[in-house]
Amino acid sequence: MSVRYVGRRLMTAVLTIGMIVLLNFVLFRMMPGSPERILLGRIPNVSSEVLQATRERWGLDKPLVPDQFVAYVGSTLGGDLGFSYGERGRPVAAVLEQHLWPTLLLFGLGEVVAIILGLALGAYSGWRRGGLIDHIGNGVSLVLYATPYFLLGMGLLLVFASGLHWFPTFGMSDVGRQYKDAFDQLIDIGRHLALPLATVSLGLVGQYAILMRSSVIETMTEDYITTAHAKGLTEGRVLRSHALPNALLPTVSLVAINLGYVIAGAITVEIVFNWPGLGTLTVEALESRDYPVLQGIFLLLSVTVVFANLAADLLYGILDPRVRT
Amino acid sequence: MIAPPMPIAQEAPLTPRRRGAGAITVLRELLRRPNGSIGVAILVIFSVFAIVPALFVGPLETVITADGPRLGPPSAEYPFGTDELGRSMLNLTVHATRISMVIGLLATLITVGVGVFVGILSGYVGGRFDAVAMRIADFFLVMPTFVLAIVLTAVIRDVVGSVSREIAGIRLSLLIIVVVIGLTSWSSTARIIRSQVLSLKERAFVDRARVIGASPGHIMLRHLLPNVTNLVVANAVLTFAGAILTETTLSFIGLGDPSQPSWGQLLEASQRASAPGLGAWWYFVPPGAAVVLVVFAFTLVGNALDEIMNPRRRARG
Amino acid sequence: MRTRLAVRLGRFIALAALVAAGLVPGAANAGVQPLVLNVGTDQDLTNLNPWQSITVADYEVFTIQYELLVSYDISLQPAPGFADEWSSSDDGMTHTFHIREGMRWSDGEPATCEDARWTYQFVLDVLASEDGYVGSGYLEPYISNTGLESVECTDANTLVARTSHPTTLMDDVYIPILPAHIWSQYSQAQISNTEAEDYFANEPPVVGSGPYVAVEWEPGEFIRFARNENYWGDPGVPDEIIFRTFGGSDTMVQALRNGELDYVRGTGADEFDALATEPNIRVSEGFSNGYTMLSMNTRATQEGYNGSTSALEDHAFRDAIGYAIDRQELVDRVLNGHGVPGSTHVPPYHVKWHVEPTTPRTFDIDEANRRLDAAGYARGADGIRVDKDGKPINLRLTWPSSEDHATDAQFIQGWFEQLGIGVEAFVTDEGTLIDDLYGPPAGGEADWDMYIWGWVGDPDPGSLLGLFTTDQIEAGVNDCFYSDERYDQLFQEQLEATDEAVRKEKIAEMQQLFYDAACYHILYYDNTLDAQRTDKFTGWTNQPPESGTPLFGYGYAGYMQLQDASAVPTPGPTTAATTAPGATQAPAATTPPAGSTGSDMTVPLLVGAVAVIAVIAGGFWFTRRRGPRVEEE
Repeated sequence: MSVRYVGRRLMTAVLTIGMIVLLNFVLFRMMPGSPERILLGRIPNVSSEVLQATRERWGLDKPLVPDQFVAYVGSTLGGDLGFSYGERGRPVAAVLEQHLWPTLLLFGLGEVVAIILGLALGAYSGWRRGGLIDHIGNGVSLVLYATPYFLLGMGLLLVFASGLHWFPTFGMSDVGRQYKDAFDQLIDIGRHLALPLATVSLGLVGQYAILMRSSVIETMTEDYITTAHAKGLTEGRVLRSHALPNALLPTVSLVAINLGYVIAGAITVEIVFNWPGLGTLTVEALESRDYPVLQGIFLLLSVTVVFANLAADLLYGILDPRVRT
Repeated sequence: MIAPPMPIAQEAPLTPRRRGAGAITVLRELLRRPNGSIGVAILVIFSVFAIVPALFVGPLETVITADGPRLGPPSAEYPFGTDELGRSMLNLTVHATRISMVIGLLATLITVGVGVFVGILSGYVGGRFDAVAMRIADFFLVMPTFVLAIVLTAVIRDVVGSVSREIAGIRLSLLIIVVVIGLTSWSSTARIIRSQVLSLKERAFVDRARVIGASPGHIMLRHLLPNVTNLVVANAVLTFAGAILTETTLSFIGLGDPSQPSWGQLLEASQRASAPGLGAWWYFVPPGAAVVLVVFAFTLVGNALDEIMNPRRRARG
Repeated sequence: MRTRLAVRLGRFIALAALVAAGLVPGAANAGVQPLVLNVGTDQDLTNLNPWQSITVADYEVFTIQYELLVSYDISLQPAPGFADEWSSSDDGMTHTFHIREGMRWSDGEPATCEDARWTYQFVLDVLASEDGYVGSGYLEPYISNTGLESVECTDANTLVARTSHPTTLMDDVYIPILPAHIWSQYSQAQISNTEAEDYFANEPPVVGSGPYVAVEWEPGEFIRFARNENYWGDPGVPDEIIFRTFGGSDTMVQALRNGELDYVRGTGADEFDALATEPNIRVSEGFSNGYTMLSMNTRATQEGYNGSTSALEDHAFRDAIGYAIDRQELVDRVLNGHGVPGSTHVPPYHVKWHVEPTTPRTFDIDEANRRLDAAGYARGADGIRVDKDGKPINLRLTWPSSEDHATDAQFIQGWFEQLGIGVEAFVTDEGTLIDDLYGPPAGGEADWDMYIWGWVGDPDPGSLLGLFTTDQIEAGVNDCFYSDERYDQLFQEQLEATDEAVRKEKIAEMQQLFYDAACYHILYYDNTLDAQRTDKFTGWTNQPPESGTPLFGYGYAGYMQLQDASAVPTPGPTTAATTAPGATQAPAATTPPAGSTGSDMTVPLLVGAVAVIAVIAGGFWFTRRRGPRVEEE
């Protein structure tokens, strides 16, 4: 992987983040109401000194461009995202941090489970093309793809939580419960995590399986696979050492590209299960028109996705010799 | 968009074709395939619902005209049960078809329109325009567009103010959703069209046109556009599915319009009325099934089209 | 390269196995745990500073932690609070309170007369200050209505308050007595203004004198109270109380069914009816001490106001459309019968004070149309009536995002349509709506036509009556801009009336005046629908017993009635065996209320199973049909 390749990817990422910040600035100025009011949250009686201090800090008494923009970028880079309307006066950054970890847990694990299951299913059905698993898997993948995450979640909730009482219905842990030890706590979180995790994984697994299946099929017809067969290698050996590693390549990039879409699913799954993450926060912020929080979420998520893409590009560069230019 | 387009090989080598030629063939091929014909059949049924819902279930029931039981389970009189205001779920689901499909259609038109315009221009003109346009496209490809759509919808709605004005029978609040979906999902179409145009540009028939002095506009309109039509159609089918999913999700999180119910809006209402907890499955199963069926049908048709237009995969099988 | 990938994949699988191991249900078990009362509410707590209280949940939180000077017992009668004895002079203008001796705050500091004096003096200072209000501005009227002039401690346990006029309201001041040794360190601005330098948010651990104090607060999630060891009375049975915030009542009710909650405030009407039949669940329907109304911008097109039509200023118009609202239909269809059709702005909850109007507007679309015709609002070519300026009447109807009035709005839209009045219905963010409502006297632009919202009152009807005096327009509270000298005068007279019959006469006239003005159309008095589990706690008592709910009332009496269900002798050994483990161990492991919910779920389960089979079969069929075809070509 050449320095030029890395440099170009880095440049793209920086440029994209720049555009995100610019877009955020435009959105912020588009909002109804005076910007200092937006920054201060909707507090009825703000003293004039506080107003003035806010104006100065954000450069609101100066021209829009460049001063205000510079001040905005400066504040954003410094992690100052303003104050939440909904949670009177709490800094947006603190609100975001509180909701970040549950989302990371749910979707990190969801991705891992989906990748493992999806790749396994896809590889197997691609390898045993036309077999029973292939047919069922394919059909199920197609239907799962057509089902919004929240519908899936509502169904699982109805059957396994409200109906069979196997799992709790909401939240991340039993509130106020005292734990014997860390393991006890882990189990409690695990029970709460099961259904949302299953929803996320099911939502994702179809796409990974379909992609893995088609790339295994593609790879299996490549010349070097034919050669490997000719050399007398067993089917399983060919699959493991030749077809699979090569078929993994496109999947790496799909995981990164997917991240942006996964977030959309995240929001709805969290609502259904009352999971205290960024998705629930998004809807709360939306209901109370908590714009600073909404913008903070947008900034946080989009920058994360940019970095994920960057990481995928670099990983791709390492894995595939052809892009090491 | 909610879901990424199904991973299909997008850059199939196409032979130059005259506009319209082959459309019949493609359709015939499509209907010959079981998955294609079933997909088309489902879509035709829902399209009919969307066009003349009143023919099947009468006019849209309002709180004033509704006379059913409160959250009544399916019965002979109300095959899909009733909601908490006594409205027939069958009536609501069929009427919601129109809103969901129209929003999906309009959003697709905008998405594909912008995508094709940018794609052809970018691919043919190249240079600085191409660089800038593709930067912007990349930006939208990378971004979590759904979150952007949420923020945009909320902001635009607040800026526009009270929202029940209607344009062509559709409430402004819904049009905002249409525009936002269009704005945030055109980039993959643009990318696909551009790469197709890049390869077409080098073909002899484009050179010939250039030599005989055709203007760039003429070449783009008369030579390039017809040759990407198949690709556009295949892409539009998947975009349509994505747009319906996006609308459903936006409505579900509360950005819909209660007085013009879409499927997502009904699902939101069912959640709000605690239907899952009350065991009133008939409240959310019909609109949910409708969404899944339509998106599933679009995916079937999309895949079938892909198989038809992508001979490489067929030959390999 | 390939080996590295394989290793990584292996690690993933190991990790997944680990996760899966943690997901096995039913393995949860725990040691001795505190007895926790889990309460679910759909209202979000915004602040622990009592002066910022707005929602019922906010009030409940300070009520648990702090004593009122005079509290309420389970029958809503005055009961010992911070004071254990109190009396008024014969002229009703000097009020003496004896503060309980030997009381301590939760941090161990003595709780004395000085704390009470500081709290009331703080309010007097606020009222005299330039702002004239503190925080949300909801608590000071309790003091200003009494006409309190001075407050002093004649000794460490005797508080003497003097009022400018005779009053019986000194026992009804709903203001928490705060620890002076903490609060006196902060300025009015630091207490009032959430954006002030060093704003005092009163973060946990809170120092209070009530039976429980907040020890942990996760905004938007939950607040946890621990027992206050220094509380003067008998300790409450629950070791801890947790309030948990929910996005909707659906998940809240599910949590109650699963035993994760013991109390749910505000279920939906249908859920309430379902819960009423379930075992181990007790429901309580509290008569609402409040109402939901349709408010109208009665100064629509005056200078500085931004209503869309001058018709709203016309009493005849507002009166006429009142005949087109079927209040009974709203109660039946929206509340599923859990409410009372609306009439005056003193709800029937106040049995002593509520008086039905002498000239009620009964639902009659034809009558409404006749009255509109008579008032000169003719229909235009499109059937829409035009106002006196020749403008078609299209009214904007909104409601705050915090409440669900979309259905009410749909009904009103439907009825008004039959009058030839267009209605645009939409929801508005609560904060924005508050800003929009304010008229020029309160520094706003009154950019609205009609909205649906509600008010909630106190044990005394005074606060509900006091919202509509002329001076409240400036405060932004009187948001339909009602102004009537006679009403203002009556309000003052009833404050000073010490004779109940005299006061009732005045309050009756005020109700009639306000009803006739057609400034609010009161839609309904919606009952509060709460539910409780009876297998962990018993002793649930409604406050007041005939028409209230156990919690979220006035004072903390309801909490002190609770008993540990596992400690109470149970009729049969079987019941004891099933309820006891749930009460002392993990709440989530409580035996699910099988019976009715189990059978309710049969249909969905069947549907789910059929759907899964259909999906698999369908998928199989599609791919099977497609597979060979693709291959043969």
